[in-house]
Amino acid sequence: MSSDIRKWFMKTQDKGGASGAVKPSGPAAAEKKKPVLSIPEKKQAPPSLPFSFGQCVPCSNQWGARIFVLIKASCDHDPSARRKTSKYFGSKTEKDSDVEMADATAGKSTEKNAAKRKLQKGSNELKDDTKPLPAKKMSKDDEDDNDDFVSPSKKKTPVKPPPSKKPKVESNVEAPGRTTGTDDGEEEDKMDEDAKTPSKGAGRGRGRGGRGGAAPGGRGRGGGGRGFMNFGERKDPPHKGEKEVPEGAPDCLSGLTFVISGTLDSLEREEATDLIKRYGGRVTGSISKKTSYLLADEDIGGVKSNKAKDLGVPFLTEDGLFDLIRKSKPAKAPVDGHQSSNGSEKLQKLQTKSSPAKVEKRAEASPVGKSFASKSNVANASAENRKAKNIDRGSMQWTEKYRPKVPNDIVGNQSMVKQLHDWLKSWDTQFLHSGQKGKGKKQADNGAKKAVLLSGPPGIGKTTTAKVVSQMLGLQAIEVNASDSRGKADSKIEKGVGGSTSNSVKELISNATLNYSDNRLKHPKAVLIMDEVDGMSAGDRGGVADLIASIKISKIPIICICNDRYSQKLKSLVNYCLMLNFRKPTKQQMSKRLMEIAKKEGIQAQENAMEELAERVHGDIRMALNHLQYMSLSQSVVKYDDIRERLNSSAKDEDISPFTAVDKLFGFNGGRLRMDERIDFGMSDPDLVPLIIQENYINYRPNTIGKDESGVKRMNALARAAESIADGDLVNVQIRRYRQWQLSQAACFASSIVPAAFMHGNREILEAGERNFNRFGGWLGKYSTTNKNRRLLEDAHSHILASQQANLDRETLRLDYLTLLLRQLTDPLKTMPKDEAVQKVVEFMDTYSLSQEDFDTIVEISKFKGHPSPMDGIQPAVKSALTKAYKQGSSSRVVRAADLINIPGMKKPLKKRVAAILEPVEESLADENGVASAEADEEDSSDTENNDELVPSDSMPKLDLQSDKKKGIQVQLDLKSNGNGSSGKKTPASRSRAAPGSGGKSAGGSAGKRKR
Amino acid sequence: MLWVDKYRPKTLDKVTVHDQVAQNLRKLVSEQDCPHLLFYGPSGSGKKTLILALIKQMFGAGAEKVKMENKTWKIDTGTRTLEIELAMLSSAHHVEMNPSDAGFQDRYVVQEVIKEMAKNRPIDAKGKRAFKVLVLNEVDKLSREAQHSLRRTMEKYSASCRLILCCNSSSKVTEAVRSRCLNVRVNAPSEDQIVQVLEIIGKKENLHLPAGFAARIAAQSNRNLRRAILFFETCKVQQYPFASNQVAPPLDWEQYVSEIATDILTEQSPKRLYAVRQKFYELLVNCIPPESILKKLLTELLKKLDADLKHEICHWAAHYALCMQEHKMRLGSKAIFHLEAFVAKFMSIYKEFLVATFG
Repeated sequence: MSSDIRKWFMKTQDKGGASGAVKPSGPAAAEKKKPVLSIPEKKQAPPSLPFSFGQCVPCSNQWGARIFVLIKASCDHDPSARRKTSKYFGSKTEKDSDVEMADATAGKSTEKNAAKRKLQKGSNELKDDTKPLPAKKMSKDDEDDNDDFVSPSKKKTPVKPPPSKKPKVESNVEAPGRTTGTDDGEEEDKMDEDAKTPSKGAGRGRGRGGRGGAAPGGRGRGGGGRGFMNFGERKDPPHKGEKEVPEGAPDCLSGLTFVISGTLDSLEREEATDLIKRYGGRVTGSISKKTSYLLADEDIGGVKSNKAKDLGVPFLTEDGLFDLIRKSKPAKAPVDGHQSSNGSEKLQKLQTKSSPAKVEKRAEASPVGKSFASKSNVANASAENRKAKNIDRGSMQWTEKYRPKVPNDIVGNQSMVKQLHDWLKSWDTQFLHSGQKGKGKKQADNGAKKAVLLSGPPGIGKTTTAKVVSQMLGLQAIEVNASDSRGKADSKIEKGVGGSTSNSVKELISNATLNYSDNRLKHPKAVLIMDEVDGMSAGDRGGVADLIASIKISKIPIICICNDRYSQKLKSLVNYCLMLNFRKPTKQQMSKRLMEIAKKEGIQAQENAMEELAERVHGDIRMALNHLQYMSLSQSVVKYDDIRERLNSSAKDEDISPFTAVDKLFGFNGGRLRMDERIDFGMSDPDLVPLIIQENYINYRPNTIGKDESGVKRMNALARAAESIADGDLVNVQIRRYRQWQLSQAACFASSIVPAAFMHGNREILEAGERNFNRFGGWLGKYSTTNKNRRLLEDAHSHILASQQANLDRETLRLDYLTLLLRQLTDPLKTMPKDEAVQKVVEFMDTYSLSQEDFDTIVEISKFKGHPSPMDGIQPAVKSALTKAYKQGSSSRVVRAADLINIPGMKKPLKKRVAAILEPVEESLADENGVASAEADEEDSSDTENNDELVPSDSMPKLDLQSDKKKGIQVQLDLKSNGNGSSGKKTPASRSRAAPGSGGKSAGGSAGKRKR
Repeated sequence: MLWVDKYRPKTLDKVTVHDQVAQNLRKLVSEQDCPHLLFYGPSGSGKKTLILALIKQMFGAGAEKVKMENKTWKIDTGTRTLEIELAMLSSAHHVEMNPSDAGFQDRYVVQEVIKEMAKNRPIDAKGKRAFKVLVLNEVDKLSREAQHSLRRTMEKYSASCRLILCCNSSSKVTEAVRSRCLNVRVNAPSEDQIVQVLEIIGKKENLHLPAGFAARIAAQSNRNLRRAILFFETCKVQQYPFASNQVAPPLDWEQYVSEIATDILTEQSPKRLYAVRQKFYELLVNCIPPESILKKLLTELLKKLDADLKHEICHWAAHYALCMQEHKMRLGSKAIFHLEAFVAKFMSIYKEFLVATFG
C-alpha cells in the first residue's frame, strides 16, 4: 500500500515534469497554469500537493513513507469510519454530525476554509463525546490555527526535512503508546512484510527444495508424454471437490505471482485461479523471472516446468498452496484486522478519527517542528479536501469528475496524445500562413492533413483527449456531437446566419480568420471538435460530404472523432484526415488509474479487483468508473470477489466466433454448462451455429451414454439429435416466414442446445485424413449449388417448352426425361462414327431447342459421385466436333427462346433470365441450311409478328416492341445498323425479328442485335 | 423428337387411354359453356394431354401456337415492391403458368397476375368463345393463402375467364377451390392400357417387340405412362433389336437412392450416416426433389424390412415427408436435415432391432 501512495505522489510530480518535457518551452508554463486555473476552487489542493510533498518523497526512506501511509490511511478510512462512529453514539450526536456535514457540503464550494473548520469542529465534537484520548482536546485549537495559517504559507515553500531526522519523527509518533494511529502504521508495515517475505525469503528457500525434489521425478516420468491432441482435454482433478478449500487472511498472497500447470489434485484450474486472485495473488500464463511459484501437482514435463527449472522458479503443490493460505489465517488475523474482521474495524474507526489530529499535535511538539507540521498540515488539508469530496459523492458522475484535466492524466495512448498535440500546434503555421504565402509551402507539406480523425472503441478517452489537448494549447474547443443536427448546411443561407448548427459551423470555420487576425485577444482561437462522426445518419443528410467541404475551406483545425474508422460512411472522410487510432489501455494502466480514483473516493480497493474490473469492461474506462461508482454506493471495500460476482452478469458482451461456441457446446464438459451459457453460445450466431452443429454432430462420441458396445445407444442419441435438428428447422421456418421472432430461443434450443446435449463428448474423425476440427456447415455451399443447378435446369426447361415439342414441368423433366435425354445426347457420341453422331445429336438438340449450355447442364446434373460420369467414353475430338457443328448450325437455326440469340461481341446474352418474347414459327420448322427455306421462315415469322402487334417502320434502325400484356417487359431490338448495305439483307428493319434467319442469310451472321 | 412427345394425342378424339373422360369433355365444350376444371391424378396419367387436347377442341388450331415468355411482374404490396419472374406459355386464347414457381410469393401471383389476366376480356370477340383460359399447373403446391386468394377470383371473373387447374393430389387443394370446379379424376392407366399404347407405338415405329417385353416395361413403369414410353425408347436406344429378357435401365437417381438404401441396411453407424448425408447432398444438388428421394428410399427400405418395423418406419417417413413439403405450407426449409433425421431414426430403430434379434 505504501508503495502505491508513493507512486501516486510521484506520479503527480512526474506529471509536471513530463508535461514540461512534452512541450518545448513556452506552452509548458501556460499549460501548468491553465488547467489549475480552470478547475473549481475545491480542487486546488491536490494539484498543489506535489510541490510540497513530491519533493520530499524521493529522498525519504521507508520511515518517511510510513508516515505518509499513516496519514493516508487515516484519510482513506474517513467516510466509513465517520458513518460507523455515529452509529455507536447517541442519535443526537449523529444528527449533529450530519448537520455539520451538510453544512460543510454547502459551505465547501464557496469558502473552503470555513468548511474545513466546521468539519474539523464536527469531528472534534465527536471526539469530545467519545473521549478516546484526553490529549486530543488540547490539540483542538492549535490544530485549527495551524490549519488556517500554516497551509497557505507553507505550501509555497516546500521544506525538505533532513533524512537523518526521520527516525526521530517516527519514534515520536509511535511513542505515546500502542493505541491508535501507530497500530495502523504497524499494520501496514506488517502487510508489506507479509507481501514481501514469502515471495522473497521463503519463496527462495522453497524454490531450492522444490527444484531438488521435483526435477528428477519429472524427468523420470518422461516429459511430453501427452500427445498434442489431448492437450485441450485436460483431465478432471482426481480428487475433485474432496479437499476443503482453506480460508486465509485477505491478501495473504499479495505480491506473489503464480503459474498453474497441469492438472491439480482437487481444484479445477479456474477454481485455483480464483482462489489465488481472491487472496491477492496474481496468475499469469507463462513463466518469467517474476513468477513466484509454479503451481503443479504433477510434473508433466511441459514447457512450463522446464522453464521453471531453468529460471529456478519453485514448484508448489496444491496442498502447499492451501498451507500457505491456511498459515496466514490464525497467525495474522488480529494484525490484518482492518480488512478482515469487524472488531478491528471498530478499532480503526477510532484511529481514523483521531489520527490526523494526533499526528499534527505530536508533530508540533516534536523537535522537527515546523517542517513536519507543514507537511502534516498539507496532508490534513488534502484529507479535508477529500472529506469534502466524499460528502459530495453522488452529486456528480465520476466519469465527469475524474475526467483528465491534463494530457498526462489520460490513461494510455500517450503517443496519440502527443501526435494530436503536435498537429494542433503546428496547424496554424502549416495552413493559415501557407495560405497567405501561396502554394509553394503547401506543396512542401503535402502529407499534412487539415483535419484529424480520432478513432477507437468507446470509453477510452478520445473526446477527453481532444478537449484536454486543445485546452492545453489555449484553443477554444467547440464541440458538435450527435445530439446536434448536422445535416448539410443550408445553401440558401450563404452567410451562415441561420439557426441550424451546420450553418453556424460553416460560419465558424470560415470566419475564424477574422477572429484570429483582428482581435485575437478578445476571441481565443477555436478548434472544432466533431464528435461521433460515424453517428451521422439519416437525419444528417449530406453530413459527411459537408464536413469534407468544411475541412477544405476551414480556417480552424477540425478534430473528428469516431468509433469505427472502417465505417463505410467515413470512407470519403478518411482521405482528408490524419488518422489517429486509439487503443484500449492495458489492464495495468487502467487499474492504476482506478486505484487512484478509488483512493480519492475513499474506497478500499484491491489491485487485483481493479485489474479484474479493467479486464471485464474490455478497456472501457468510462464503464469501469460507472461500475465503481455504483459499487461505492453500497460498499466501501471492493474486493476481487465483489467484482467477479457483480460483473458476471453485466460484463460487456464479447463476440465469440460460432466455431468457439460450437466447440464449447460439444466440448467434453459441455454438459456442465449452465443453461444461460448454452443459450448465449447458441445465440451468438443463430444462423451459423445450428449449421455447424448439424454438420458436426455425427462426429461426436457422446460421453453421456456410458458403455455402448454395440453402438445402439450412440445411434439412439444420434437419432434424437437429428430429430431435434429437424424440429429446429421447422421452428426456423416459422420465424423466417411468419416473422415469429419470439420463437428464436426455441429455435436455438432445438437446433443447437438439444443436439449438443445429446452428443457432447469427444470428437472423432469419420473419414481418413480428415482433420479433427469442426467443419464449416456444408449446407450453405450445397444450397447455393442446388440453386444454381435449378436455375440452369429451368433454362433448359424453358427452352424445351419454347420448342413446343413437349409440355412438361421441371420436376418431370428432371425425374423422368433426363435419363433418356442424356442417352440421346451422349450415346450416339460414344457409339456411332463421329460425323454421323455429331449430326444426329445436333439435330436432336435443335428439335428441343437445347443449347450448348443446356447440354452441359444435363450432363452436369446427371453426375453422381461414385458413378461414372456420363461424358466418360466420349473422345475429346468428338466433343469438340460437336461444339463446332453446333456453332456452325447456329447461324441457320430457328431460335425460339430469346436468350439463345447470340449477340456478336458479347459472350453472354445481356440478361439471360429475362427472355424476350419470340413469336412462334409456323409449321415448317426446317433447320436446313438452305437459304431459301430460311428465308421463307423469316417471311413467315415476321409476317406473323406484323399482324400481331408491330407497326415497324422501314427505315428506323431501332425497334421498340411493347408486349401486349400490361406489365410485360419491353423488348427492344436494336438493329445496329449495318443497314441495307453491308450485310446485304433484303429486308432490313421490318424483318429484323426473325433475326436468326436473316443472320444466316447474311452469311457472316453479323447482323447486330441487341436485346434489352 | 422423343416418342413420348411424338405420340402424344393432339385432339380429344385421338385420346386412347382415357377415352371415356375425353368424350365427356368434348360434350362439355360443345355445349358452349365450360365450367372451371380441376384435373387431378398421379403423374404420367395424361392430365396435361387431356388439357391440351381440350383447349384445342375449344379454340381450334390457334391454341397450338404458343409462345414462351419469361415475364417479370412488379407487384406493389404496399410496403415494398416485389419483382416476380414467371415463365408462361401463352397463345392468343390461353395462358399456361405455374404459379407455385414463385415460391412463397405465390400469393401475389394469384392476387395480382392472375386477377389481372382474368379481368381482361379477350379482344378478339369474333371467335366463338367469349372467354379465355388460364391453365394453372401444380395448384396443390400453392400455399394456402394463395389458394384462398384464388377462390374469389374464380367467381368474380368467371364471365371472361375459365381456370383449368391441374394437380397431383386433390386433397392438397382447399375444399373451397375444389367445390368451384368440375373435378376430373384422371386415373393412372392400367398396365394393360400401357401395354396397348406401347404396342401402338411399336407398330408405328416399325419395331418388333418380343413377347412380354411391353408388359415388363409396363410393370417397371409403375403405371406411369410417360415413364413407360420413356423406358421403351431408352430400351430402343440401348439395344435394338430387343433382347427377349431386356429390361430398361433404371433412372439415374432412382438407382442412386437404391444404393443409399443398401448402404443403410448393411451398416448402421455414425460413419455410414455421414456417408449417406454426402449422397443426399449429391441428389439434392442434382435437383431431385426431396420428397421423391424420401419416397423412393422408403420403398427400397420397406422391401427388405421385417414386417414388425414397417409400421414404425412408415410413420417416421410420413412425418419427415410432411416436414419437407416444398411449397404448400412449407414446414421446413432445409430438406437435408429431415432426410438425415429420417435415416438416423431408421438406423437407430433398425440397429436396436438387429441387436435385440441377433444379439
